[in-house]
Amino acid sequence: MASPASVAAPAALLRLEGVEQFYGQKIRILGPIDLEMREAEFLSLVGPSGCGKSTLLRIVAGVLTPTVGTVRMGGRPLKDVNTRAAMVFQSFALFPWLKVVDNVAVGLESRGLPPRERLKKAQKYIDLVGLSGYERAYPRELSRGMKQLVGLARALAVEPELLCMDEPFSALDVLTARTMRELVLDLWASPVVMTKSILLVTHSIEEAVAMSDRVVVLKANPGRIADEVDLRGLPRPRRPDLPQVRETVDRMYALLA
Amino acid sequence: MASRRPASYSVDLGLIFLIGAVVVGLHLGRSSLRPYDAPELDPRPALLPLYLLYSLARLAVAYLLAVGLALVTGQLAARSPFARRLILPTLDVLQSVPILGFFPLAVGFFIGIFHGSALGVEMAAVFLIFTSMFWNLAFGVYESLITLPEELALAAGQFGLRGSLRWTRLILPAVVPSLLYNSLVSWANGWYFLIASEIIAVGPARYTLPGLGSYLAQAVTVGRNHETVLALGVLIATTVGMHLLLWGPLQIWAERFHFEESGDRPRTPRMARVLGRSRLVRWLTRTVVAPAGQEAIAAAGKLLGMWGASGWWGGAFALLLPASLLVAVFKLYGLFVSRPASPELAGIPVDLLLSLVRVALGVVVSAAVSIPLAWALARSTRVRGAAMAVIQILASIPATAFFPLIVILLRWGIGMNAAAVLLALTTMFWYVLFNVAGAAYAIPKQMDEAALGLGLRGRRYLRRVFVPAVLPSLITGCVTAWGAGWNAMILCEYLEAGRRVYQVRGIGATLDRATYVTGDMQVVAASLASMVLLIILVNRSVWDPVYRRVAERYKMEA
Repeated sequence: MASPASVAAPAALLRLEGVEQFYGQKIRILGPIDLEMREAEFLSLVGPSGCGKSTLLRIVAGVLTPTVGTVRMGGRPLKDVNTRAAMVFQSFALFPWLKVVDNVAVGLESRGLPPRERLKKAQKYIDLVGLSGYERAYPRELSRGMKQLVGLARALAVEPELLCMDEPFSALDVLTARTMRELVLDLWASPVVMTKSILLVTHSIEEAVAMSDRVVVLKANPGRIADEVDLRGLPRPRRPDLPQVRETVDRMYALLA
Repeated sequence: MASRRPASYSVDLGLIFLIGAVVVGLHLGRSSLRPYDAPELDPRPALLPLYLLYSLARLAVAYLLAVGLALVTGQLAARSPFARRLILPTLDVLQSVPILGFFPLAVGFFIGIFHGSALGVEMAAVFLIFTSMFWNLAFGVYESLITLPEELALAAGQFGLRGSLRWTRLILPAVVPSLLYNSLVSWANGWYFLIASEIIAVGPARYTLPGLGSYLAQAVTVGRNHETVLALGVLIATTVGMHLLLWGPLQIWAERFHFEESGDRPRTPRMARVLGRSRLVRWLTRTVVAPAGQEAIAAAGKLLGMWGASGWWGGAFALLLPASLLVAVFKLYGLFVSRPASPELAGIPVDLLLSLVRVALGVVVSAAVSIPLAWALARSTRVRGAAMAVIQILASIPATAFFPLIVILLRWGIGMNAAAVLLALTTMFWYVLFNVAGAAYAIPKQMDEAALGLGLRGRRYLRRVFVPAVLPSLITGCVTAWGAGWNAMILCEYLEAGRRVYQVRGIGATLDRATYVTGDMQVVAASLASMVLLIILVNRSVWDPVYRRVAERYKMEA
């Protein structure tokens, strides 16, 4: 197990301190969890279903308040919805009655941006994810992959410090998922996109290894951190057939077994 | 949020509406503040358009009130567990109450407040129509909010949608389909009760409001056939017109608010699909209804956002419903301890039993006719859309329009017992048919194909596939019809037509006699209370368990 001290950096963007989630009064489904995330880090949470990884992500996004413990964002404890984070959902969670451009602008609207700036910024991110020309379409007219692109643009448009992604590729077919992974990595590396810290929840070890700087492995009943693996030494791009990548994936399967 | 808002027509429209309301109010107020002396309606047919306008205004006011309150109540029940525990049981009890029966009490209340002026009668009428429109709307809002996809609600929270923005972007669009669907039901109910609510009688006192309903009722009572037919024509033309020019375009517009349907068949056959082929309807949708709808959502969102800003109001409102129920029970109790018991009270159990048999018969007949009819509809792929549209329009004709027909049948001597059941069927039947037909259309195509592959045809298909598939909806339809049936009893067991009274023994007739003839409040209260108790008892001990078992076993899981 890699010691946290060896990877500690001065600027912690996110910090979870003794976070626990209960179901009802007695049943603890998650925690206690202590976790730190650095600025500009790509961190993945993997684990079997029921290990509470999605719950943990929702706690970080501030849509769920933990029963016990504190979430700190840039040092300050989180009290409400985490406005410095934005979320991408497994089922896309687009508003079916809003056009693509209005879906992307939803977060900007609630932040009180005037209409013209809203439109400009929404357009920028629609272009960035490659959906130019589909601004006036409704979600139902799009393929699943395109829907998730809208979800990604919507999250990036509020220019969050932290991007939370909850199994974003698992509702997509294999080919689309691969293209989307590459797009996310490209955007992460691109100077045009402000967001540099990404927290990804996935059940796919291959996905976590292909994308992240660090992987936190969770185990179930209750969900706790079982292990974590530093992948900064693994060179990018990480094609799945590279021996180094395959060896890492195998090692992580062994960890989970 | 101090951002500049774009100019909005909704504000202008609101202002115009306000000014209009003040003008109308002043005009009405002048004539209304005198004590009200129920005049006979001027029977000249030339006045029919005016009467229609009056009736439409009453319906519209009641409807707007009902929608507003349904949004507030439904949202509150969906959001707060505390409010839910108060609101849902209250709504459940109130919706199983035959509204017509409570009318005399409400009229007494409003006329008392306004010292017998026309304004009080007017308010009482609007209140009655409101109660006939409200319950299903509120339940619809509640249900569509609790079935909102979880991640969408989370997304709305995560992207910071609050207050007005949450209403306009999430809640209102999410409830539009259910609101529209239920509006059809509500308006049908509204028309149905219009006839009862424009002529108001408490004991010997009788108040008549000018309107289509009172015109029709008067024509039937006095026996003027020519005017009856004319008023019926206007009534039918209006309901059909509203379907074509208002609800149809609204449904087409509302397509965008539906969550994506899985499977290869549309879940419900919508009249919109047929109407959508009309050029006029499409034009109306695009140029009038869609922009107006958007404005309505924006305006309502603004208003509701303001309301939602203080949670205190919500709590107060949630308490108000059960509190008023308690007061009513208390008043009833006072009525009985203050006076010796009326001799008529002893007959109530038998009355109840007779009416129960009629309502039950109505439910059985509705179900027995609906199943084969829905099967036939579902099988004929070619005519189903058109057939559904025709049926929907037929159903929107208020049952009271069948009054004269029944009177003719009575003169031929079919007997009041059969006439009462027949009249009740005109409202009960549609509830069952719509539910069953909707479920029949929703049977997955793959299941049909599998059945065909296994050689299930004809009666075997009906028994093994069709009936199990529609069973949950059949029960839902029967429960609704059962509720409507009791209301119908109040209307059907006691008829006045052509200066003659036709009646048959039953709780409805007893209630009507006590209301219109003797004015004995004890009998009114006792028959009402016993009816409500019986309805709730049967709902709890029969319908609820049956529905739960059927829903568990026969739920269609995709």
